[in-house]
Amino acid sequence: MAARDGLSVTLPPAEASPEPTTRPSGPLLRVDGLSVSYGPNEVVTDVGFALGRGESLALIGESGSGKSTIARSVLRLLPRGGHATGRIEFDGQEVLGLSERRFRPLRGRAIGFVPQDPGNALNPVRTIGAQAEESAALLDGTDQALRTGRILETFAQVGLDDPRRVYDAYPHQLSGGMLQRVLIGLAVLPRPALLVADEPTSALDVTIQKRILDLLSRLRQDLDISLLLITHDLAIAAERADALVVLKDGLVQEAGRTAAVFASPASAYARKLHADVPALNPDRYAGLRAAGFRRLETGAAVPKIEVSAVTKTFTVDGMALTAVDDVSFTVRAGTTHALVGESGSGKTTTIRLLLGLDQPDTGDIRVAGEQVTGRSHEALRTVRRHLQLIYQNPFTSLDPTWKVEGLVREPLDRFRIGTRDERAVRVREALADVGLGEHLLARRPDALSGGQRQRVAIARALVLKPDVIVLDEPTSALDVSVQADIVEVLLTLQADLGLTYLFVSHDLALVRQLAHTVSVMHRGRIVEHGSVSDIFDNPRQAYTASLLAAVPSGIAERARWPHPRFEAVRNEACVA
Amino acid sequence: MRNAYLRYAGIRLVQAVVVVLLAYLFTFVVVSILPGDPVTNVLRDPQNGFTEEQIKTIIAAQGLDQPISVQLWTSLSGFLVGDFGVSMRSTRPVTTLIAEVLPSTLILASAGLAVALLLAAAIAYGTQFLPKRLGQGIVRAFPSLFLSVPGFVIGLVLIHAFGFQLGLFRVIEPDSAWATVFAAVALGIPISAQIAEVLIANLDHESGQEYAAVARSRGLGRVRLFAKHLLKPSSLPVVTVIALTVGELLGGSLITETVFGRTGIGSLVQRSAAAQDLPVLQAVVSLAAVVFVLVNLIADLFYPLLDPRLKLVGGTERRPTSANESAAPAPGSVTG
Repeated sequence: MAARDGLSVTLPPAEASPEPTTRPSGPLLRVDGLSVSYGPNEVVTDVGFALGRGESLALIGESGSGKSTIARSVLRLLPRGGHATGRIEFDGQEVLGLSERRFRPLRGRAIGFVPQDPGNALNPVRTIGAQAEESAALLDGTDQALRTGRILETFAQVGLDDPRRVYDAYPHQLSGGMLQRVLIGLAVLPRPALLVADEPTSALDVTIQKRILDLLSRLRQDLDISLLLITHDLAIAAERADALVVLKDGLVQEAGRTAAVFASPASAYARKLHADVPALNPDRYAGLRAAGFRRLETGAAVPKIEVSAVTKTFTVDGMALTAVDDVSFTVRAGTTHALVGESGSGKTTTIRLLLGLDQPDTGDIRVAGEQVTGRSHEALRTVRRHLQLIYQNPFTSLDPTWKVEGLVREPLDRFRIGTRDERAVRVREALADVGLGEHLLARRPDALSGGQRQRVAIARALVLKPDVIVLDEPTSALDVSVQADIVEVLLTLQADLGLTYLFVSHDLALVRQLAHTVSVMHRGRIVEHGSVSDIFDNPRQAYTASLLAAVPSGIAERARWPHPRFEAVRNEACVA
Repeated sequence: MRNAYLRYAGIRLVQAVVVVLLAYLFTFVVVSILPGDPVTNVLRDPQNGFTEEQIKTIIAAQGLDQPISVQLWTSLSGFLVGDFGVSMRSTRPVTTLIAEVLPSTLILASAGLAVALLLAAAIAYGTQFLPKRLGQGIVRAFPSLFLSVPGFVIGLVLIHAFGFQLGLFRVIEPDSAWATVFAAVALGIPISAQIAEVLIANLDHESGQEYAAVARSRGLGRVRLFAKHLLKPSSLPVVTVIALTVGELLGGSLITETVFGRTGIGSLVQRSAAAQDLPVLQAVVSLAAVVFVLVNLIADLFYPLLDPRLKLVGGTERRPTSANESAAPAPGSVTG
């Protein structure tokens, strides 16, 4: 048993796995002809796949593809109104038709669940410990003190520094990465045979994403857990799964072993997914970016944004916190400069200073030659005409009660530009620039998709004909394929209109695709800057290198964390 | 955390005192500018048969010949030490008058609140656990039904059904146990509706939250999910609602007392208002303000203790930043 329980030597012997001979053969999870509908709307149609024991399988698709619905069907946790038909066999037993009373013992004990958004996945008014005890209660025959001990062990196992503090904490006192570790810990604590992980890292920074995925791979290996991984990122899926199922609109587009699907996708949709992953296609927009590079080489491009030696300190509970520390960078006309860093690195504060929303303690900021720092609110309005911002989340940045026409026209109204008719024309032009038709003018944001909303936000910024656009993680709330569309729109606009972009992101693969120059921020300082090829091909700083290494590339990880062949474990167990 | 809480409690306490004082001042002004001169109306009423000599003595004793500012000062300083002066109608101390009827009203109000809470909890439980077909829709309709029927109608129906038809209590003995129970029911029903509506809305909201699904994925059944996860966050806003309904509880008590013929603050107010007995009115209104403010103060003080997310002004609780995350060891380092 040594190999299997090598992770925590203190496990009581009662927790040892059942004798290998008692394991039934056949796949652990077999889904057959699964259809799920909400009322008359069928969101999943006739989906089937099988997950072998000890294997991992990824369900891939964009939002609305039905991948999360399938995951919830396996757990029988569909939201109200959801109805599933077909067959789901777990460990040889049909479970979809089981009564709630007979299915419930499987939840947690046999099938663990790691949810998507760690911030909402724990009860906010109960301590982590109180909720962890619920998982621990699924362990048989242990008393209270032992159970708590097991919880603390598991917290240490998933890389939480101070298990006791985590146990006593409330969810809001922990960061997203820590909460996701807690949730993984709670899911693996009762030693389920199957772990269903629904986009376990989509809410997290890239380096934390890598750590969480590594943790899942390691736990899977050490505890012999099968994994059903739901993701929209083909690169992650290819890295972490033995088999892939590609979904679109609730239908299986393609399925097979990872190597086969990834290397030679047969369906058009899988090929498109592959093409849309930035990490796999760093030079996709080389043509659109060429003009910017030429401008940089010839030295013809004048500086549009000049940030020199800017420092901003906040006081939090009497302690000084330097959010931005001696930051300088220059963005040249007609090029894209990327500001890269993790949450809390000072990116957002830098943008706020640039937009004049906050004043820096020291330093100087110029946009198109005009000083931003030290200006009154009114004086800033003239700067703002040339400087527009596109926000991170198009689901919250547009007023849901306004129509598209009003949303896009508002800046013109505010700056009193043109007559009524001229404004209407400008609005239509801006929408055409981002590839939206006039039939959308009377719609409200609720009736638009995420990609359409972000296009409206871009049109809204374009309507003033600005020189400089600040893009604050403009695609982080969007699917990979929608992201590719938005990036294409942005780069085409730059090529046509000569726009200057400051692109703020934590996604290095995306930065590599679209930026000309890069500054890497870490804890308020710029640790490295240079051209895209400098930074990506020869990172000089360890921090930059670690960011680059965290980008899912779709290959290395399965080799790095090989799944222990079941046979090998069995042999070792017999020897032990 | 502790210091922050004490500071918060201190600020709330000061605010409460200010509100009570303002309420007292407001009442004093309103009562003073009411049309009609109480001296003429009450004292010179031939029915009372006061002689001119006696009237002078009473005016002097009540301080009615003093300037208004002096009257306010006398009245306010008396209020601060619990002395409300002397009733003009019965010439007995106001404090005694109130003390005689207060217990009856307090019993009715607390029983009414208890009925309201029990009913609201039962309705909320029903909406979560009754099968859809078996009357969940009906249970959900109760709050709006309760709210749309005036309280005194409920009282009259109860008196008719249980007093006259079933004979559980005699209408001429309004302080008997059964009469008190039904008075409390009449008082509690409209208030239960408000509490139940908030509770149901919150339970529906919380049960749709991601954490509820995740808790179920840990193998929790519906009853434990309800009791351990959903009830507490759903009840937090109810604390505020209960505090706000106290005013209604007091007002409702007065009406219910009249319907059931009970002696209490209600009958006292009725008699004093008719006779323009200013000291009694001033005292009752001020006491009501004190009770209302006190209950809301208690709710405010409890809230941060119940909801750990609530950040206190000047609190020292801080969300850990991602720095903590990066300080965590790589998962590999744990493995043996």
